[in-house]
Amino acid sequence: MKYRSFHPSRVDDSQLCTCLKRQLTITTEPIDEAALLRERTMSDAMGAVIYFLGVVRGGEGEQKISAIEYEAFKKMAEHQFHLLFDQIEKRWPIASIRLVHRIGIVKVNEPSLWVEVVAPHRGESFAACQWLIDEMKRVVPIWKKPVVL
Amino acid sequence: MQASVHFYSYFKDLTGCGQILESVADGSTLAELLKKIFQRFPKLAAMEKSMLVAVGLDYQPRDYILKDGDEVSLFPPVQGG
Repeated sequence: MKYRSFHPSRVDDSQLCTCLKRQLTITTEPIDEAALLRERTMSDAMGAVIYFLGVVRGGEGEQKISAIEYEAFKKMAEHQFHLLFDQIEKRWPIASIRLVHRIGIVKVNEPSLWVEVVAPHRGESFAACQWLIDEMKRVVPIWKKPVVL
Repeated sequence: MQASVHFYSYFKDLTGCGQILESVADGSTLAELLKKIFQRFPKLAAMEKSMLVAVGLDYQPRDYILKDGDEVSLFPPVQGG
Protein backbone atom coordinates (compact mmCIF):
# COMPACT_ATOMS: atom_id res chain seq x y z
CA MET A 1 0.00 0.00 0.00
CA LYS A 2 1.00 3.65 -0.36
CA TYR A 3 1.55 5.49 2.87
CA ARG A 4 0.69 9.14 3.30
CA SER A 5 3.56 11.58 3.19
CA PHE A 6 4.90 13.33 6.25
CA HIS A 7 2.87 16.15 7.73
CA PRO A 8 4.66 18.71 9.85
CA SER A 9 2.79 19.39 13.05
CA ARG A 10 3.19 23.12 12.63
CA VAL A 11 2.46 24.97 9.43
CA ASP A 12 4.90 27.85 9.91
CA ASP A 13 7.57 27.25 7.22
CA SER A 14 10.27 28.81 9.38
CA GLN A 15 9.79 25.97 11.86
CA LEU A 16 9.95 23.13 9.35
CA CYS A 17 13.52 22.15 10.19
CA THR A 18 12.81 21.67 13.89
CA CYS A 19 9.22 20.43 14.20
CA LEU A 20 8.13 16.84 14.58
CA LYS A 21 7.20 15.20 11.32
CA ARG A 22 4.37 12.77 11.79
CA GLN A 23 2.70 10.13 9.66
CA LEU A 24 -0.27 8.20 10.98
CA THR A 25 -2.12 5.44 9.14
CA ILE A 26 -4.98 3.35 10.49
CA THR A 27 -5.83 0.84 7.81
CA THR A 28 -7.39 -2.51 7.00
CA GLU A 29 -4.57 -3.16 4.51
CA PRO A 30 -1.59 -5.37 5.47
CA ILE A 31 1.40 -3.44 6.79
CA ASP A 32 4.03 -3.20 4.05
CA GLU A 33 7.31 -3.03 5.98
CA ALA A 34 9.47 -2.90 2.86
CA ALA A 35 7.58 0.12 1.52
CA LEU A 36 7.80 1.87 4.90
CA LEU A 37 11.55 1.33 5.08
CA ARG A 38 12.01 2.58 1.51
CA GLU A 39 10.11 5.77 2.37
CA ARG A 40 12.27 6.65 5.39
CA THR A 41 13.82 10.10 5.20
CA MET A 42 16.56 11.34 7.53
CA SER A 43 18.66 14.45 7.89
CA ASP A 44 22.40 14.48 8.70
CA ALA A 45 21.62 15.45 12.30
CA MET A 46 19.70 12.26 13.01
CA GLY A 47 21.67 9.39 14.55
CA ALA A 48 19.01 6.97 15.81
CA VAL A 49 16.13 5.10 14.25
CA ILE A 50 14.01 2.81 16.40
CA TYR A 51 11.24 0.79 14.93
CA PHE A 52 8.86 -1.57 16.62
CA LEU A 53 6.65 -4.21 15.10
CA GLY A 54 3.71 -5.64 17.04
CA VAL A 55 2.78 -9.09 15.74
CA VAL A 56 -0.30 -11.20 16.46
CA ARG A 57 0.54 -14.16 18.68
CA GLY A 58 -0.99 -17.61 18.20
CA GLY A 59 -2.59 -17.66 21.64
CA GLU A 60 -4.50 -15.48 24.05
CA GLY A 61 -3.85 -16.91 27.48
CA GLU A 62 -4.21 -20.65 27.05
CA GLN A 63 -6.53 -20.38 24.06
CA LYS A 64 -5.16 -20.96 20.57
CA ILE A 65 -6.35 -18.40 18.07
CA SER A 66 -6.08 -17.92 14.31
CA ALA A 67 -6.32 -14.13 14.19
CA ILE A 68 -7.30 -11.00 16.06
CA GLU A 69 -10.05 -8.70 14.89
CA TYR A 70 -9.22 -5.07 15.64
CA GLU A 71 -11.97 -2.47 15.92
CA ALA A 72 -11.31 1.27 16.12
CA PHE A 73 -13.27 4.43 16.76
CA LYS A 74 -11.16 5.79 13.95
CA LYS A 75 -11.69 9.54 14.19
CA MET A 76 -11.08 9.55 17.93
CA ALA A 77 -8.11 7.19 17.56
CA GLU A 78 -6.48 9.58 15.08
CA HIS A 79 -7.18 12.53 17.36
CA GLN A 80 -5.75 10.75 20.41
CA PHE A 81 -2.64 9.65 18.50
CA HIS A 82 -2.01 13.27 17.51
CA LEU A 83 -2.41 14.39 21.13
CA LEU A 84 0.28 11.83 22.05
CA PHE A 85 2.52 13.09 19.24
CA ASP A 86 2.02 16.64 20.59
CA GLN A 87 3.24 15.49 24.01
CA ILE A 88 6.24 13.69 22.51
CA GLU A 89 7.17 16.87 20.68
CA LYS A 90 7.21 18.73 24.01
CA ARG A 91 9.17 16.05 25.89
CA TRP A 92 11.86 14.81 23.49
CA PRO A 93 13.83 16.21 20.52
CA ILE A 94 12.29 13.76 18.08
CA ALA A 95 12.53 14.47 14.33
CA SER A 96 9.84 12.14 13.07
CA ILE A 97 7.30 9.52 14.03
CA ARG A 98 5.60 7.17 11.65
CA LEU A 99 2.91 4.85 12.96
CA VAL A 100 0.72 2.33 11.17
CA HIS A 101 -2.02 0.43 13.02
CA ARG A 102 -3.90 -2.24 11.19
CA ILE A 103 -7.59 -2.84 11.93
CA GLY A 104 -9.98 -5.59 10.86
CA ILE A 105 -8.86 -9.23 10.82
CA VAL A 106 -5.10 -9.69 11.34
CA LYS A 107 -3.89 -13.29 11.15
CA VAL A 108 -1.39 -14.88 13.54
CA ASN A 109 2.23 -13.92 12.68
CA GLU A 110 1.09 -10.81 10.79
CA PRO A 111 1.95 -7.35 12.11
CA SER A 112 -0.79 -5.20 13.59
CA LEU A 113 1.40 -2.25 14.59
CA TRP A 114 4.49 -0.58 13.10
CA VAL A 115 6.09 2.39 14.83
CA GLU A 116 9.24 4.26 13.83
CA VAL A 117 10.90 7.05 15.81
CA VAL A 118 13.82 9.05 14.38
CA ALA A 119 15.90 11.22 16.71
CA PRO A 120 19.44 12.58 17.12
CA HIS A 121 20.34 9.97 19.79
CA ARG A 122 19.15 6.51 20.86
CA GLY A 123 18.07 7.52 24.37
CA GLU A 124 15.23 9.76 23.28
CA SER A 125 14.16 7.44 20.47
CA PHE A 126 13.85 4.41 22.79
CA ALA A 127 12.11 6.48 25.47
CA ALA A 128 9.63 8.12 23.10
CA CYS A 129 8.81 4.85 21.31
CA GLN A 130 8.21 3.00 24.60
CA TRP A 131 6.12 5.86 25.99
CA LEU A 132 4.04 6.14 22.81
CA ILE A 133 3.13 2.45 22.79
CA ASP A 134 2.34 2.44 26.53
CA GLU A 135 0.10 5.51 26.17
CA MET A 136 -1.53 4.16 23.03
CA LYS A 137 -2.64 1.14 25.06
CA ARG A 138 -4.16 3.49 27.62
CA VAL A 139 -5.99 6.12 25.55
CA VAL A 140 -6.31 5.26 21.85
CA PRO A 141 -9.72 3.65 21.21
CA ILE A 142 -8.79 0.44 19.47
CA TRP A 143 -10.00 -2.93 20.72
CA LYS A 144 -9.21 -6.51 19.85
CA LYS A 145 -11.25 -9.67 19.72
CA PRO A 146 -9.57 -13.07 19.33
CA VAL A 147 -10.69 -15.20 16.41
CA VAL A 148 -10.65 -18.80 17.62
CA LEU A 149 -9.39 -21.62 15.41
CA MET B 1 -32.20 17.86 25.26
CA GLN B 2 -31.01 14.82 23.34
CA ALA B 3 -27.62 13.20 23.34
CA SER B 4 -26.57 10.48 20.93
CA VAL B 5 -24.77 7.66 22.66
CA HIS B 6 -22.46 5.30 20.77
CA PHE B 7 -21.23 1.91 22.00
CA TYR B 8 -17.99 0.23 20.94
CA SER B 9 -16.37 -3.19 21.26
CA TYR B 10 -18.33 -5.67 23.40
CA PHE B 11 -20.54 -2.89 24.72
CA LYS B 12 -22.41 -3.28 21.42
CA ASP B 13 -23.12 -6.89 22.38
CA LEU B 14 -24.22 -5.91 25.89
CA THR B 15 -26.68 -3.31 24.57
CA GLY B 16 -27.64 -5.04 21.33
CA CYS B 17 -27.05 -1.85 19.35
CA GLY B 18 -24.33 0.54 18.26
CA GLN B 19 -26.08 3.80 18.96
CA ILE B 20 -29.10 5.27 20.75
CA LEU B 21 -30.63 8.67 21.39
CA GLU B 22 -31.26 9.51 25.04
CA SER B 23 -33.22 12.47 26.41
CA VAL B 24 -31.88 14.28 29.46
CA ALA B 25 -32.78 17.51 31.22
CA ASP B 26 -30.88 20.65 30.21
CA GLY B 27 -27.73 21.04 32.32
CA SER B 28 -27.42 17.31 32.96
CA THR B 29 -24.00 15.81 33.59
CA LEU B 30 -22.46 12.73 32.04
CA ALA B 31 -23.06 10.93 35.34
CA GLU B 32 -26.80 11.65 35.08
CA LEU B 33 -26.86 10.42 31.49
CA LEU B 34 -25.02 7.25 32.51
CA LYS B 35 -27.60 6.59 35.23
CA LYS B 36 -30.34 6.62 32.58
CA ILE B 37 -28.26 4.40 30.28
CA PHE B 38 -27.68 1.88 33.07
CA GLN B 39 -31.43 1.72 33.78
CA ARG B 40 -32.02 1.00 30.10
CA PHE B 41 -29.11 -1.47 29.78
CA PRO B 42 -28.49 -3.07 33.21
CA LYS B 43 -25.63 -5.23 31.84
CA LEU B 44 -23.61 -2.06 31.24
CA ALA B 45 -23.86 -1.01 34.88
CA ALA B 46 -21.46 -3.79 35.88
CA MET B 47 -18.84 -2.17 33.61
CA GLU B 48 -19.16 1.27 35.17
CA LYS B 49 -15.80 1.35 36.96
CA SER B 50 -13.69 0.41 33.95
CA MET B 51 -15.85 2.17 31.36
CA LEU B 52 -14.23 4.96 29.34
CA VAL B 53 -16.40 7.91 28.36
CA ALA B 54 -15.75 10.39 25.57
CA VAL B 55 -17.69 13.35 24.25
CA GLY B 56 -16.82 13.99 20.63
CA LEU B 57 -13.18 12.94 20.29
CA ASP B 58 -12.02 13.67 23.86
CA TYR B 59 -12.34 11.89 27.18
CA GLN B 60 -14.48 13.75 29.70
CA PRO B 61 -15.02 13.38 33.46
CA ARG B 62 -18.37 12.30 34.85
CA ASP B 63 -19.20 15.88 35.95
CA TYR B 64 -19.02 17.17 32.35
CA ILE B 65 -22.19 19.16 31.58
CA LEU B 66 -23.84 17.94 28.40
CA LYS B 67 -24.72 20.24 25.54
CA ASP B 68 -27.46 19.66 22.98
CA GLY B 69 -26.17 17.50 20.14
CA ASP B 70 -23.24 16.08 22.08
CA GLU B 71 -22.05 12.71 20.79
CA VAL B 72 -21.18 10.51 23.75
CA SER B 73 -19.16 7.33 23.32
CA LEU B 74 -18.98 4.52 25.86
CA PHE B 75 -16.43 1.76 25.61
CA PRO B 76 -14.34 -0.72 27.59
CA PRO B 77 -10.60 -0.24 28.26
CA VAL B 78 -8.66 0.07 25.01
CA GLN B 79 -6.32 -2.65 23.73
CA GLY B 80 -4.46 -1.41 20.67
CA GLY B 81 -1.16 -2.82 19.46
